[in-house]
Amino acid sequence: MHLPFRATTSTITPSKILRRNRKERYLSWAFALPALTLLLIFLIIPFLLAIYFSLTNQRLAPEPLPTSFLGLRNYARMLTDDTLRRALFNNTFFGIVVVPVETGLALFLALLLNQKLRGMSVFRAIYFSPVVTPLAAISVVWAFLYNPGQGLINAFLKAISFGHLGPYTWLNDANLALPAIMFLSIWQGVGLYMIIYLAGLQNIPQSLYEAARVDGAGRWHQLWYITLPQLRNTTFFVMIATTVQAFKLYTQVEVMTQGGPGSATVTVIWYMVNQGIHHLHVGYASAIAVVFFLLVLIRIIPILRYVVAAEKREE
Amino acid sequence: MSRFCETVRDKLQWRRIFPLLILLCIVPSACSITPFATSSSASGPIIVQLFYHSGQEAERAALSTTLQAFNDSHPHIQVEAVQLPEGNYIDQVNVAAMSHSLPCLLDFDGPTLYRYAWSGYLVPLDKYIPSQMRDDFLPSILQQGTYNHHLYSLGQYDSGLGFYANKQYLRAAGARIPTIDSPWTLSELNSILARLKHVAGVQYPLDLNMTAGGGEWITYGFSPFVESFGGDLINRRTYLSAKGVLNGSNAAAAMTWFQNLFKQGYSNPWPVSDTGFTFGQAALDWGGHWLYAGNHQALGDNLLVLPAPNLGKGAKTGMGSWSWGITSSCKTPDAAWQVLNFILSPSQIARMTAANGAVPARKSVIAQSQLYAPNGPLHVFALQLLRGIAEPRPITPAYPTITSAFSEAVINIVDGFNVKTELDKAVQKIDQDIQDNEGYPTRQ
Repeated sequence: MHLPFRATTSTITPSKILRRNRKERYLSWAFALPALTLLLIFLIIPFLLAIYFSLTNQRLAPEPLPTSFLGLRNYARMLTDDTLRRALFNNTFFGIVVVPVETGLALFLALLLNQKLRGMSVFRAIYFSPVVTPLAAISVVWAFLYNPGQGLINAFLKAISFGHLGPYTWLNDANLALPAIMFLSIWQGVGLYMIIYLAGLQNIPQSLYEAARVDGAGRWHQLWYITLPQLRNTTFFVMIATTVQAFKLYTQVEVMTQGGPGSATVTVIWYMVNQGIHHLHVGYASAIAVVFFLLVLIRIIPILRYVVAAEKREE
Repeated sequence: MSRFCETVRDKLQWRRIFPLLILLCIVPSACSITPFATSSSASGPIIVQLFYHSGQEAERAALSTTLQAFNDSHPHIQVEAVQLPEGNYIDQVNVAAMSHSLPCLLDFDGPTLYRYAWSGYLVPLDKYIPSQMRDDFLPSILQQGTYNHHLYSLGQYDSGLGFYANKQYLRAAGARIPTIDSPWTLSELNSILARLKHVAGVQYPLDLNMTAGGGEWITYGFSPFVESFGGDLINRRTYLSAKGVLNGSNAAAAMTWFQNLFKQGYSNPWPVSDTGFTFGQAALDWGGHWLYAGNHQALGDNLLVLPAPNLGKGAKTGMGSWSWGITSSCKTPDAAWQVLNFILSPSQIARMTAANGAVPARKSVIAQSQLYAPNGPLHVFALQLLRGIAEPRPITPAYPTITSAFSEAVINIVDGFNVKTELDKAVQKIDQDIQDNEGYPTRQ
């Protein structure tokens, strides 16, 4: 009988170790129990319910028609739903642009603010302040900034271009609405990731840079061969976080555009809430949730696997 | 990890913590199992719970004074009022309905009532209301409170919708002052707007209150235009489809005209604030009774209140506001009616309408009203409701979908999208919803 343990001393018999292992296993489960219970109640059970609802025509106000079993009809309907397709496209487009831009900008700002100069903490506070402001409040303010007639952004563009640029209708223009929301989202989120990068930068041992300087590496080489590789885990974290942010895009859309104009700024989460709460189609909204969950999983798993593989290589 | 476990084990015996953990997990669920305190003990007063939307400050104050007066004069019934934010009031009521936690009395914004009535969440009020009291209510209140031949709701007030006008600007443009018997026609309105555009000081002739954003204003404020053109939001004979009605030629003509108001610069599609009219940048303001106080304060004697225009098939305007109903889950409906009866008494209606400036729901109160009596400045709003110029929004449980589909279409049309395409999309959403609900069959 093979047991998965490493015997350390000769006095411990296999049966003792078995007992101890079992006890440890129980103990670890006991520690995990509170968290697992909460996950079960607030995440796993609702998700299982969503899978069930997605197979029915469950409505938010269910009476007086009986809730009936639809099989896969909700899923079939998703295939022909143009708004949903547009929402998926919008989320993807948002992710493709925002993830690299926000990550890069956060790194750039962190490098900039990692200098040992006076007043740096003031700049850090300035870049961080949008993060601690409620997103709904930011969205309201930016809706005013983007106003076509009297907004500050059009006035600014007009001033710096001597009247050649604008006025643009921003949130009321099907081509500009989503980029406008992207811009504000990056502005709002970049401070947080900048702080994370700063922490990462301060973890890099100075000795590496000293050794590199001795070897004659310039600043560019130091950045490329020391800073960036050392920040790899931080970058993974920031990329996962911004990807999740791209998937979860909701507040800005709800406050600023309600998915419009047309369906130019519809996102999957917004559409799901709209279908479930405003149109009372809980069944259909659940089907969207299930599919969206799978899509997020498909997107996140490769990143996580890459991280795990990279860590294994290090060991 | 294993070393950590060993240290823990050395200090705390595993057997000792396990029951503790079990306890920790059970405590929260045990709390929720504890039965709710029974709502009324045999000796105490009957408790009537009610939900209401937290509207304007003055409205809230008036309602709480009313409820306080009721509690003081009825020792056997105690009202417990729960205030919910107006923004997502409907969502919260829907969720309460789904989880079977509706209160006895509920207020709701006009047309959302039919969904609740259809779902069986409300009881008819017919058996409670004496015919004398019934006859005193505005026909509009009874019309929109009735679903499937039963009266389900009554409100303290109705709403009025029409033009506010800047007298000076109208005179400068040489515009005729319309009356309810001879409202502006489509061509007259168009030429007035064109002339107003050139009057000094006017930036946009017509303020359509687009700052109200999405929400109910779009349907309330602009569906009368569609109806006055001869279109509608849904086929009201069957309530089974919007096809050929909302995307028919009349509705399309109405929305094309509406889109042109913005294209021609007659109206600002994206205003920053709602001060266009009060600051004298707009000559006309298409809006509800709730704007009167502010407009009157800004313009004084220069303000006119004018009836809805006739855009082809007769003048049409909006109606409907918040109203009350008794839920079927209420265990003490008689006590709930006593509360409702008190809320709907002339003196309490007078208190509320003095606070919010709305049209009093009862004719006897209108006769006493400073604003709405025959010589009052807003009498035209009362006349529109009395003479059937006001049209109820569609009386169907499909209303939540109709209003969101219509307002999405309108917002896109304002942004310059193709009118026919947008109306077709709205029709498709509405018809899909009706189909999903098997045509909203009613029980007789």
